[in-house]
Amino acid sequence: MIHVENLRKEFKKTIKEPGLKGSVKGLFHPKSEMIAAVDDISFHVPKGEILGFIGPNGAGKSTVIKMLTGILTPTSGSCTINGKNPTADRKKYVKEIGVVFGQRTQLWWDLPLRETYGVLKEIYEVSDKDFKKKMAFLNEVLELDDFIGSPVRTLSLGQRMRADIAASLLHSPKVLFLDEPTIGLDVVVKNNIRNAIMEINRTEKTTVILTTHDISDIELLCSRIVMVDKGKKVYDGSLDALKSKYGIMRELDFVPEEGDGFSADEFCKGVSLKGEDFKLENQNGKYKVRFNSEKMAVKDMLTYMLSKTDAKDITIRDADIEEIIRRLYKEGVDDIG
Amino acid sequence: MGKIKKLYFPFTRAGIQSALMYSVNMIFFSLSELLYCFVMFYVWKAVFAASGGEDFMGFDMQDMFLYLFMTNVTAYLTMSQADNAIAEEIKDGSISMRLLKPVNFNLSVLFKDIANPIILFVMVFVPMTVCIEIYRGVTAGMVMFQPLNCLFYLLSGAVAYLISFYMNMSFGFLAFYVTNLWGMGILKKILLKFLSGAVIPLAFMPTILKNILSFLPFASLSYTPVMIYMGKYSITEMLLNFGLQIFWLVMMFLLCKLIWKSAIKRLCVQGG
Repeated sequence: MIHVENLRKEFKKTIKEPGLKGSVKGLFHPKSEMIAAVDDISFHVPKGEILGFIGPNGAGKSTVIKMLTGILTPTSGSCTINGKNPTADRKKYVKEIGVVFGQRTQLWWDLPLRETYGVLKEIYEVSDKDFKKKMAFLNEVLELDDFIGSPVRTLSLGQRMRADIAASLLHSPKVLFLDEPTIGLDVVVKNNIRNAIMEINRTEKTTVILTTHDISDIELLCSRIVMVDKGKKVYDGSLDALKSKYGIMRELDFVPEEGDGFSADEFCKGVSLKGEDFKLENQNGKYKVRFNSEKMAVKDMLTYMLSKTDAKDITIRDADIEEIIRRLYKEGVDDIG
Repeated sequence: MGKIKKLYFPFTRAGIQSALMYSVNMIFFSLSELLYCFVMFYVWKAVFAASGGEDFMGFDMQDMFLYLFMTNVTAYLTMSQADNAIAEEIKDGSISMRLLKPVNFNLSVLFKDIANPIILFVMVFVPMTVCIEIYRGVTAGMVMFQPLNCLFYLLSGAVAYLISFYMNMSFGFLAFYVTNLWGMGILKKILLKFLSGAVIPLAFMPTILKNILSFLPFASLSYTPVMIYMGKYSITEMLLNFGLQIFWLVMMFLLCKLIWKSAIKRLCVQGG
């Protein structure tokens, strides 16, 4: 469905020396250098998959999306979507895709929302019957009815984003590109939008490529993630694989019963785990045990702990994905994939 | 044709709706243009009074009145806003949203931009022309209006608009290279006013300058249609000048295509 091979995009960046002197100097002898925003990225996406495209700010995610949607021409490499080259036949190609940029709108700023949909219907040549059916569906999942008569510039961010997503789905695209669709939205609207994406993916087998910084977006929607950093691909695989590689750490929290003589030192001595694999912290009488669940099963750790103290208030936690990704962002990945 | 209508009329409709949303802005803009006409009129009146003669290079004061008002109305009507629109889109990156639509880029801009002359035609041109003709009729004591000239004027004006559109699109594409076009835009506007004869009729200029300027595309923008309206051209002159307009339209169209082809490769969308 989507084939991306050795994609690369370079930008010319003018370098300005600091201060007023630098500004004046730049006026006469502008200096510039080439910067690779996207460097040799390849991946494939089969039909019907929801792919999470993640990475820190400035990693090159949006640049990749812009090349995939035909807005930017790659410096080298190729991308083929549905057997089409995005930049070669723009008009035909964009008919088959839907795009939402969280920070821009494709709606007519001054027109009531309903009019925008009318215009899009004509441009994408959607038949009256399909249009009616689609609008009914979008209305249901995105709740557009409340504001469909208002000019777009008067909509709130959440309303505008829902409206934008509806606009990108009106022509039943085969591929949907979403660049940070949930940025700055509250939980209710986020849910709305996630439901719409899942619904459309389920009923129409729409392939979705999604960039986001919201970890719950990824956990709820994406079966697979591609992570980029500094223009390079650092991870490509399922979320579960990432979790099992980095998420084997568990956390056990408990509060020992008062007066049963619980001693932290003694507790540590009885555990055979060493170094990174085991850590005990005392936070005002509440103990946190972080341990490697592959070397010592959760069940065993729990039994051991209960043998030492009559604990109350026990919680066991997964190392959350956010933590994993934070670590990946920080350290980079060499050996995973 | 049917397909073009279906695909691009929504842009015109949306353009008209958007423009009407800011109708107060448009009214004040039109008033300022009108005020400029009166200022120019009194300046020329002083010039005529000082020169002492009734006739000045084939123009009497009646002609001058008609010329000034018609030129400015025509320039106002046929002046495309496409350069501002496109430069703004390039600057803030919203051009990407236009590129994501399955429509021809230039045509989608054209059909949105055309909303302007349509509104101005109804709101400014028709009332202005009626007023001008009533004034002329009263002062001359007879009906001066020439329906046939007016018809040819409209035809020539439509071509003038298209030339202006492609010229301004080409200019707007410069934003791909310089990002902020505002200063150049002001210079362009003033140069155009002079070169198209909106300040001083080309007929008043020294012969060499006049010949050069009337061949350049700028004369096609307002001078040619106004001369047709005023009946200053013989049939042959009219056809010749109309042919020249068509020639410049084709040239501007090709120039625009050429710039677009190289500019789009340079596109780097800013922010986000």
